[in-house]
Order: sequence, then C-alpha cells, then structure tokens
Amino acid sequence: MDVIPSIDVLQGNAVRLTGGQFALLTKYGPPEEVLDGLELERGSRLHVVDLEASRSGRPVETEIVRRLARRDLRLQVGGGIRSLRDARAWLDCGAERIVVGTAAAESPDFLQQLVDTFGVDRIIPAVDVRDGEVRVEGWQRGASESITTILRRLQALDIREILATDIRSDGALRGPSFALYRQLRAMTPLRVIASGGVASVHDIVSLSRHANVSGCVIGKALLDKRITLAEANARVATPNAIPERVIPCLDVRDGRVVKGTNFGNLRDSGDPIECAIRYEKEGADELVLLDVSATDEGRRTALETVRRVAESIFIPLTVGGGVRSVSDFRALLRAGADRVAINTAAIANPQLIADCAREFGAQAVVLSCDVKGRDAIVRSGKESTGIDAVDWCKRAEALGAGEILLTSVDRDGTNAGFDLELLRAVSGSVKIGVIASGGAGRLEDFRDAIETGGARAVLAASLFHERRLAIGDLKAFLAREGIPVR
Amino acid sequence: MQVTLIDSPVANVANIARALREAGADLRVTADAAVIASAQKIVLPGVGSFVAAMTWLRATRIDDAVRLATSRGASLLGVCVGHQLLFDVSHELGTTPGLGLIRGEVRKFEGPLPVPQIGWNRVRFSKNPLFEGSEAFYFVNSYAAANVDSEIAQADYGGSFTAAVQKEKVFGVQFHPEKSSGAGLRLLRNFVQWT
Repeated sequence: MDVIPSIDVLQGNAVRLTGGQFALLTKYGPPEEVLDGLELERGSRLHVVDLEASRSGRPVETEIVRRLARRDLRLQVGGGIRSLRDARAWLDCGAERIVVGTAAAESPDFLQQLVDTFGVDRIIPAVDVRDGEVRVEGWQRGASESITTILRRLQALDIREILATDIRSDGALRGPSFALYRQLRAMTPLRVIASGGVASVHDIVSLSRHANVSGCVIGKALLDKRITLAEANARVATPNAIPERVIPCLDVRDGRVVKGTNFGNLRDSGDPIECAIRYEKEGADELVLLDVSATDEGRRTALETVRRVAESIFIPLTVGGGVRSVSDFRALLRAGADRVAINTAAIANPQLIADCAREFGAQAVVLSCDVKGRDAIVRSGKESTGIDAVDWCKRAEALGAGEILLTSVDRDGTNAGFDLELLRAVSGSVKIGVIASGGAGRLEDFRDAIETGGARAVLAASLFHERRLAIGDLKAFLAREGIPVR
Repeated sequence: MQVTLIDSPVANVANIARALREAGADLRVTADAAVIASAQKIVLPGVGSFVAAMTWLRATRIDDAVRLATSRGASLLGVCVGHQLLFDVSHELGTTPGLGLIRGEVRKFEGPLPVPQIGWNRVRFSKNPLFEGSEAFYFVNSYAAANVDSEIAQADYGGSFTAAVQKEKVFGVQFHPEKSSGAGLRLLRNFVQWT
C-alpha cells in the first residue's frame, strides 16, 4: 500500500477543510514550505487538490502544481476537472495522474473521452460517499445514480484504481471508514485509495491490511505531525510481521477465578491453573492475572496462585492488583510474573512507575488504567480521581511504562463492545502498546478494537470463562479479517 | 539427554529450566566453570544487561569454560542476552567484547518503532537443525545483531534483524523460547535431542 501525503491548496496556501466546508478551514502556509517539513522521499506520490477549482470548475492553482512537479514527485491532482482542456492543463503542468470526481459519477461519456485521450493509467475516478450515497460538486449534492451503478461503469472502462472518501470521516480524525472499504471489496474488484479519517499510524497499518486498499491519502494528521512518513512507511512495509495478541484475563480472589459486571457482582468462574492451561492450549498469546481480593490474607493467597499459574504455562504472564511498592512489584516477578501492572498506587505516587521501570526495565511495567467516562479511577473502580485518562496514560509512558492495560469500567462485563473512542484517544497519543479491555461481546468487537481502536492486544474474561467464545475461533476470525495473529 | 544450564544471576534461569525439562532435558543447573568446561550440551541464558552478563561470565571464568567446551565439540544454545553474548561485540552502553563465538556485532534497534520490542514477532528460519518454517516467537529486546554470516533466522522490527544464528554446534536465539508456547518448546526439544 502506498502512503500518499495530501495537500489541499487554496489561494496559494496549503489548507484543510473539515467536513468539506469552506467555513471550517485551517491554513498551513505555502505548499513548498509544508512539503519541506514532511520529508518526502524522491519519487513518492503526492495528492494535490485545488479547492478553488473544485468549487468553480476550472483549474486555478496550476503554477503551484507546476512547481511541485519539478520536485521529482509523482503528482495526482484533483479539483473540478470537467473538460479535456482542464485535464490537459493539469497533465501539462507535470501531474502524473488526474483525480476526477463529479465527472466520474455524472458523465460517463466524458470519462470515456478522458480514458481514450490520456490512457486509463492517468485517470483516478474519485468516489465520495456519505451514508451509502455518492456525493458530487464539492459534496454539495447527491449523484443521480447509485454507487453500484457508478462502480460497474468504472469497471467497464477498465479503470483499475479509484479514490474513495467517506465524507463523514474526512478531517475529523475519527478513523478511516473501514466499513466502507470492506463494503467496496464485496462490491467491486477495483483497487481503492482510501481517503479520510486517518489520525494515527495505527489507522495506516489497519488500512494496509485491507486487500483491496492500494493507497492511503493522509492530510491533516500528517500536517499536524501526529504521523511521520518515516514511521508510516516502516510500519506499512511489514504490516503483518507482528501478530496482534489475544489475552484472557483471570480476575482472582481467594484462589478462585471470579467475574463480575462493572467491577461488581462477582461470581465464581473456575480454577485459575485449569483456566491458564486451557487458554494456552487454545492459543492465548499472554495471560493477565488480576488479584481482586480485598484483604492482606487474600494477597498472600494471590502470590501463591501467581506462582502456580506461572509454573503451569509457557506464555508471558502479566500480574496486577494491589501493587503498592517496588517490593510488591519484585515479589510478583519472583513469583513468576513476566510483567506487573500498577494501578491505584501509581496515581497516588507516579514515581512508582519510574522506580519500577529503572529497577526492572520498561518491558516489565504495565500501567493498568481503569476509566469511567474519561476519568481514570482507582480502588477497583470505586473512586474517581478527576485525572483525564489520556493525560495519565501519556504521563505514564513518559515515566517509563512499557504498555497500557486500558479498561473501560462502563463497559466491563457488559459485552456491549470496547469503548473505541477511548481506545483511539489513548492509542493515538502514546507510542507504547495499548491492551483493550472491558466490553468484549461479539467477534467484530475484537476486530474493531484493533482496526479502529489501534489496540495492540485484546483482552476478555467472561466470554472465555463461560466458553461463549473459543480463543481459536476468535483468532481464525481475526485472520480472516486481515489481522495477523499467531 | 543431559543439558547443562548456566546458573547466571543475570538471567531468568527458573523459567528456562522449567521449559528445558518440559522439552525432555535431563537438566543440570550450575555455575561451576569446571563442570561447564566438560559439558556436552550447554544452555546460556540471559536477560537485562549485556555488560552485567559478560562481566559475570568473566569474573567466574565461565567465558573460558564455554569456549573450551565448544572447541571440544560441545553444543551450545544462547537465549536472548545469552544469544547476544555469543557475538564479537555489543554496543550496549559503550562497546563490550562478547565471547567471540559468532562473527558480528549487537546494536540498538534504529528506526521509528518503539524500543524495547515487547511481544510476538514472526521469525523466518532457513534450513537448520533447530527449527523449521516460519512461526511467531516472543521477544523482549532493545538490541540485536543484523545481517550476520551465521544467521539462520530473520525477523522484522522496522527493518530486518537476526533472530537466530548457528555456527557448527553453536546456536543462539534472540527470542524467548521458554515464553513462546508450543513453538518455543519444539525448538528446545530439537536442541535437546540434536547431536
């Protein structure tokens, strides 16, 4: 998949519109200066949209395109191309390809002429979609034909690649419209350049895992420096090298696995050692064990449980619950934990994260962040702290945490799906991995947590304990959806 | 098959010991240089700091014992930092010589991906006695060798790096077979049974 930086130009400046509205405009300065800041490699693709042209219907910023073309970039230019003369104007300026929107949807004869005159490889039809309908004329009105008809016509012309934008996601950083690309894959063999909604490098990786997505246009996130091209290209080069993880969670109290709803109403769910062995056999990539006992007596039992679980498996074990000091942390590592999750104590004393990271290495330190609304909460979900969860996760990363276990208390045990907005907010703000926790219900929830939420691992408890979902079936589903698993 | 596991304080000896036993090893855990020097099959574990691990090997003379044993035809498996110790040199916190059993240098990961690498990563093996095919193994590392002559397996982490090496009877794996479930145990079993 090609990562294609995009700049929209208006009155000599690189700009961005939000939701396609000229009233919601951000200015970034002269295009050359903007490009200098992006560190584009020679020969890379660049997507340029002349906004004035798309509004008025005639090429305006031809001089800018001419100057950019001299930079050894492969330009694809769009904006209100409605005649052969417009098309020729852009191609004469040095554009490699032209992006045709309104015309692709509304006038098949014109598209035919373009293909006949310039060749099919120089034409990229743009299909802008809102709620299943193709929009034209700067998104102002709906096309007269259905998306199916329009796509079929493009295929008949031997077109191979289209640019597809979900208008609702463009510039809003809410995530690409993976559902649209999945839908297009079912409808057409056309390759798709995805456009709109990319906010983090996770979004780019997720897009690259869609077999029909051949390119990905990134604008705002790149210009706002939320993504660097170097990182995006490195991740896209091997999007499937690193498997995403499935992690069963054992909440343990008095030597038994328990599970509740919204951190309450605990019920017995079995023997921790039996569960651990079964989960490794089923393909669990890691195990999380959380001590939810409330007493000191319970904690001593938990340490023994950790030891017995650690001795019965050959996958990494992360343990959390009641860790208040470096010596608590050490005791769990000695009992056989590979990593230890810190929660309540770190909020009262953030230095604990730094101390443990220095003593045992960042890879051993997991921040367990329980969230209600957008606030980090403590004491097994009982107390709010007034600390914003995203800020807290960023701080923990800076202090040396190696990963974040992010649990939505609102969703915990409800099977209503992971909190994707929370996941995106955190995974888009930190470099370290995020484990999605709280709310898993359907197979699609796990996919969405990784694809849309940017999680590097998905965690569930009751679904696995109650055998409503087998880990093997979940991993087979994720693999079918293009997500690499072990 | 008897296997001698070096009882290094800079390692997760208990975990490796458990996995080796599971893989069928008749295990002897020792830090006695004389015992190691005459051993036939040796495992060198290691986690944490290359410098600390190498300092300990030198102080205990186990560095010489390992070299002597391999020169007499013993087989050796280095795991994680134990794998890194096999090389000529590591650039972790300055430049420190290793055991020099495998040509190459260990360097910090460069590139845009977060370091340390924590988690599963797909490893591609070329033909060798230790493991066949391509499988995910569990890694925790900030440093690795790359493009070395003795490479028998590669993985990608913002660029390709050496996941395993073999030179005659000396093997090294950058990942943790003891945390890599079935694939890890299979690899250890192959080492234990291999002659």
